[in-house]
Amino acid sequence: MRSTLLRYLRARGARPDVADDVAQETLARLIALSQTQQIGSLFALAFRIADNLMIDTRRREMRQETQHSDDVDDEWESDDPSLDRILDSRRALDVLSLCLRRMPPLRREVLIRRRLNHESCRAIGEDLSMSAKAVEKHITRGLLDLRAALDRAGVDFAEFA
Amino acid sequence: MTAQRQEFDVIDREAAEWVDRMNRPLHDAEVAAEFDRWIMGDPRHVESYARHQALWQSGSLRSALEAAEAAPDDFGTFEDEAVPNWAGQAWKQFAGFAAVALCLVVVLSMGARTLVSESSYAAARGTSREVVLPDGSKVRMSGGTRMDVRITPWSREVALHNGEAFFDVAHEKVRTFSVNAGDSRVTVLGTAFDIDLVDSQTRVVRVYRGLVSVDAGAGRQWRLPAGNGIEVGGGRVRSLGDVRGDHPGWIDGWFDADDTSVQQLVQRINRGSDLPVVLADPGLGQLLVTGRFQTSDPEMVLEALAAIHDLQWRKEKARYVLSH
Repeated sequence: MRSTLLRYLRARGARPDVADDVAQETLARLIALSQTQQIGSLFALAFRIADNLMIDTRRREMRQETQHSDDVDDEWESDDPSLDRILDSRRALDVLSLCLRRMPPLRREVLIRRRLNHESCRAIGEDLSMSAKAVEKHITRGLLDLRAALDRAGVDFAEFA
Repeated sequence: MTAQRQEFDVIDREAAEWVDRMNRPLHDAEVAAEFDRWIMGDPRHVESYARHQALWQSGSLRSALEAAEAAPDDFGTFEDEAVPNWAGQAWKQFAGFAAVALCLVVVLSMGARTLVSESSYAAARGTSREVVLPDGSKVRMSGGTRMDVRITPWSREVALHNGEAFFDVAHEKVRTFSVNAGDSRVTVLGTAFDIDLVDSQTRVVRVYRGLVSVDAGAGRQWRLPAGNGIEVGGGRVRSLGDVRGDHPGWIDGWFDADDTSVQQLVQRINRGSDLPVVLADPGLGQLLVTGRFQTSDPEMVLEALAAIHDLQWRKEKARYVLSH
C-alpha cells in the first residue's frame, strides 16, 4: 500500500520529501477510517485522502511563499518557482484548448457536461441520444487525447508540482 | 509501433476508463474490488491512473472547458492546418454534415441556457418560510436559513449556506436533486429529507421518505433509507436510527434531542424565537440533554433545562440568559 501510494504521489508530481509525509499521513487516516466505517475501495479512498492532503500542503506552501516575498526585499534575486509554475499552467491551458478545438464537437460537449456540470453518463446519453456506454467511450477517448496532447507538447504537467 | 508501446496504450486506456468510473458519486462493492485488483496488478497502472487523474482534476482542464463552453461557435471550427489530410474527399462530404451537427449543438446549448433558472432564498430570523421551486419541489426553511437554487434542464442543485431546511423533492426519473452543504453533499431523485447545518463543521441529515445518498468528501459515502439519519462533523460520524413521522419536528415547533448539546438546542430555539437565548458561560453549551422540547416556547424549554441541569434563567429586555 505504501509503495503504491508513493508511486501515485510521485506520478502526480509531488516532491519526494512531501510524498513521504503525505503517504505516511494518508496511511494513518486510512487506518482510523477503517475502524469506524466500511470502505469500498481501499485504493480509491487512499488516493482521495492523498489528493486532499496534497492540496492542503500546496496551499500552505503558497501562503508561506507569499509571506516570504512580503518581508524579504531580494525577491528578484531568487529564481521564483511560482513563475515557472504559472508559465507551465498557461502552456497547459493553451495545449488543452487547442486539443478541445480539434475534437469532435460531440465529444467536447460530453466532456463539458461530465467535468463541469457533473452530469451522470446516463443523463448525458439521454440528452444527446446515445447510450451511456457511448458517453463513457467519449470521455475515455477525450481524456486520452488531452493527455497525449500534453505529452506531445512536452508540457511538464503536474498539478501538485 | 513496438509491442511495448501497445502495452502502454492499453494501460492508458484502462486508466482513463477508471478515472471516469472512480469520479462518479457511488460505486458498488464489485467495482471497488475490481479497481483495487487492477491497481495492484502492475505498478505501471497506478502511475498511468495518477497522470490521467491529475489531468481530469486539474484547474487547467476546468478553465479550458469553461472557455469552450462560453464560446462554442469559436470552438467548432475544423479549419486547423494541423489536421492531416488523411481523409481527402470523404472529409469534404463530411464537413457539410459536421456543420449541421455543430449548429445543432450550438442551438441546443444556447436554448439550454435560457432554461436555466437561478434564485436565492432567505428566511428571516424568527420565522420559517416555505418555497416552491420551479421543478415543483417544496422546501421549508427554518428561521435564518439561506440558500441558492440552480435548476437546469439536466440538474437541480441547491447550495445551503446556513440554517436548516426540509426538502420534499418532486420525483424525476433522470434529473437528480443535489444539496451542497459545505463539505457534504446529498443527492436524490425524489424523497423527503432534512439538513441541519449545526455549526461550521457539523451537518445532520434525516430522511423521511425514499433513499438519500450522502457524500462527505474523502471517499466517505452513505446511503440512507427513510427512518434514518446521520451526523457528520469533525472527523466523527454518528448514525441516528430514530427518525419518525413524515416531516421533522421543528416545523411544528418541536425538537427531539438525543444526547444533544445544549448549544445545539439553544441554536434551535434562536432560529424561531423573537428574543435570543444566550449562555452566561459558553461551557454550558457542552451539557447534553435528551427528550422532546417545544422549541416554539423558549421559556418552557429554559424551565426544563434549568430543572435537568440545575441552572438558572432570566428574561432581560432583549434576550434570555441561561446561567449557573
